[in-house]
Amino acid sequence: MTADRFDLGGGEPIITLRDVAKSYWRGAQEIPVLQGIDIEIPAGSYIALMGPSGSGKTTLLNLIAGIDRPTGGSLEVCGHELNGLDDDELASWRNAHVGFIFQNYNLVPVLNAFENVELPLLLTGAGRRERRERVGQALALVNLADQMWSYPRQLSGGQEQRVAIARAIVTDPDLLVADEPTGALDAKNAEEVLALMERLNTELGKTIVMVTHDPKAAHHARHQIHLEKGVFDRTVEVNR
Amino acid sequence: MRWLALIWKSLMRSKRRTLLIVGSLVLSVFTVAVLQSLLTTLDAVTNNPNSSNRLVVRHKSGLTQMLPRSYEAYLRQQPEVETVCAIQWFGGYYQDPRNFFANFASDETTLFQTFREEFGISGITEAQIKDYLRDGAGCIVGESLAKKNGWKVGDVVPLTGTIFPISPRLTIRLIFRSPKPSDENVLHFHYKVLEEGVPRMKGLVGSFWARTRRSEDIPRLIERVDRHFANSAYETLTETENAFNLSFVRMLGNIGAIIQGITAAVVVAIVIVTGNTMATAIRERATEIAVFRAMGFSAGRVLVLLLSEGVLLVGAGGLFGVMLAHLAAGGIRGSLGAAMPFFADFAILPHTVFACLAGALAIGMLATFIPAYAATRRPITDGLKAVG
Ligand SMILES: Nc1ncnc2c1ncn2[C@@H]1O[C@H](COP(=O)(O)OP(=O)(O)OP(=O)(O)O)[C@@H](O)[C@H]1O
Ligand SMILES: [Mg+2]
Repeated sequence: MTADRFDLGGGEPIITLRDVAKSYWRGAQEIPVLQGIDIEIPAGSYIALMGPSGSGKTTLLNLIAGIDRPTGGSLEVCGHELNGLDDDELASWRNAHVGFIFQNYNLVPVLNAFENVELPLLLTGAGRRERRERVGQALALVNLADQMWSYPRQLSGGQEQRVAIARAIVTDPDLLVADEPTGALDAKNAEEVLALMERLNTELGKTIVMVTHDPKAAHHARHQIHLEKGVFDRTVEVNR
Repeated sequence: MRWLALIWKSLMRSKRRTLLIVGSLVLSVFTVAVLQSLLTTLDAVTNNPNSSNRLVVRHKSGLTQMLPRSYEAYLRQQPEVETVCAIQWFGGYYQDPRNFFANFASDETTLFQTFREEFGISGITEAQIKDYLRDGAGCIVGESLAKKNGWKVGDVVPLTGTIFPISPRLTIRLIFRSPKPSDENVLHFHYKVLEEGVPRMKGLVGSFWARTRRSEDIPRLIERVDRHFANSAYETLTETENAFNLSFVRMLGNIGAIIQGITAAVVVAIVIVTGNTMATAIRERATEIAVFRAMGFSAGRVLVLLLSEGVLLVGAGGLFGVMLAHLAAGGIRGSLGAAMPFFADFAILPHTVFACLAGALAIGMLATFIPAYAATRRPITDGLKAVG
């Protein structure tokens, strides 16, 4: 594993993984899922994480996003050594630095679009007025200012995912992680969501790590990293 | 404040389930509050501090047997005894046999001294008492009884006898107020009316109520009185007024054990219902909880939010239940109070309210805490994988 194989361009790394490993145990039997993952991802990257089913994409993404812990190695993300944070510190770190986009949107059904987007802001010191302002901006950014008071069941899948994206960016995190964000969408809606994510990367400078199966989706990223059985296989630079 | 809307909307997620859990809590808190208050009421009957220095002397073979009125002289001679009142249960009714209330033929000369507290003696004037003493066909009634029948001082009350073959027409000379409602559901008239109207009652009475100077004297006195009349033609059974009342409460069966049994069953049922409902509700939200935590909500914060929901639910249920019990207490006083005098005192007392609310909250906390704690211990990645 040489450095040039994973040259993702220059710039300060926002994500640094050193010899990261993750195993599960079934009884006494160790099942390695990730092994020897070494990578530096510069700030402002847009990376598509690809690979066959079961290759460890979601596992790696969860480690980077700080909702899972490695069994070996270390991760430095957004300026913090994640192994050094306890669970509560890790939670505040996520709130400040990471936005999540899920395949199933995972909006809270009893909250309207405004309230869903407001959720992560409730943890910050932001007052009522500031929250209202920021939620408004985030929803305007995803082009849903007119659906502010709609409930998830009143929205289309594409709209729901855009609300979820607004929720992910409302705290202005440095890093967005997305696990199959277009997996549940039809081609047209998928295209819209991907275009939106591309704008978040190019215009707002968000670093994005996106897991996807879909080559068309991966084409929107600037780099594709392929995982194979828990190790990096190859990277491809996308010429957009 | 910023969390309140979130908690409220979460509660309204499944209105049916929220209603079910609040409803079953209302019902069980209501049931437990009423039953426990019943027990408190009965306890008060047999632990009446006012009657702690009174004792009742009656025939050893039962309440239907009479004692010679001459026994009164012996009782009065005892140094511990302050005053003695001869009383006979008359068992008459006014207009309608279902219109029950306690009425007695009693020795008017000692009645007020023997039952000072019950007659609220400080509120009665000498002149009022004299009015009653002067009129051999007079009677006295408690205020709530008078109110129920629309009686005023000077009205004539025809009382139809059921045990005794007389139906005296009594003129109300005094309406008294008592500290306890049950003591106001009473009518007394002169003993002579019974003695003169019923030949077989000549020189006889059902019971003597003796007031002692100090309650410590009572055990000695009881023993001495019963020993004195042992082996006579009229043997006595002497006991404290509380013990006497207890024998009436006992006629209802072992009501304490029944009430505690039902209470335990209701508590077990509500623990199971609440526990199950909360566990299901929280399990269904596994994904949502994981999403909250991914967004930066700490396990503790999620736990507090879920606990708040649970506490709000059972708090509302408990509060409504207690309020309902309070409303029902009025009905019980009116209905059961007519059949059993002491139910006129029925009330949901503060300590019962407190115990019911505390119990409901404890159950709610526990029922929420266990599944909520388990949910926040689960890895976030598990929750995100769950289909939700
Ligand atoms: N909690 C767990 N316990 C045991 N094994 C697990 C657990 N989570 C994941 N795995 C295993 O780790 C491997 C990688 O899983 P992961 O979800 O990262 O795959 P993936 O690349 O995201 O696959 P897909 O494309 O299907 O989503 C799989 O073989 C899976 O069985
Ligand atoms: Mg996956």
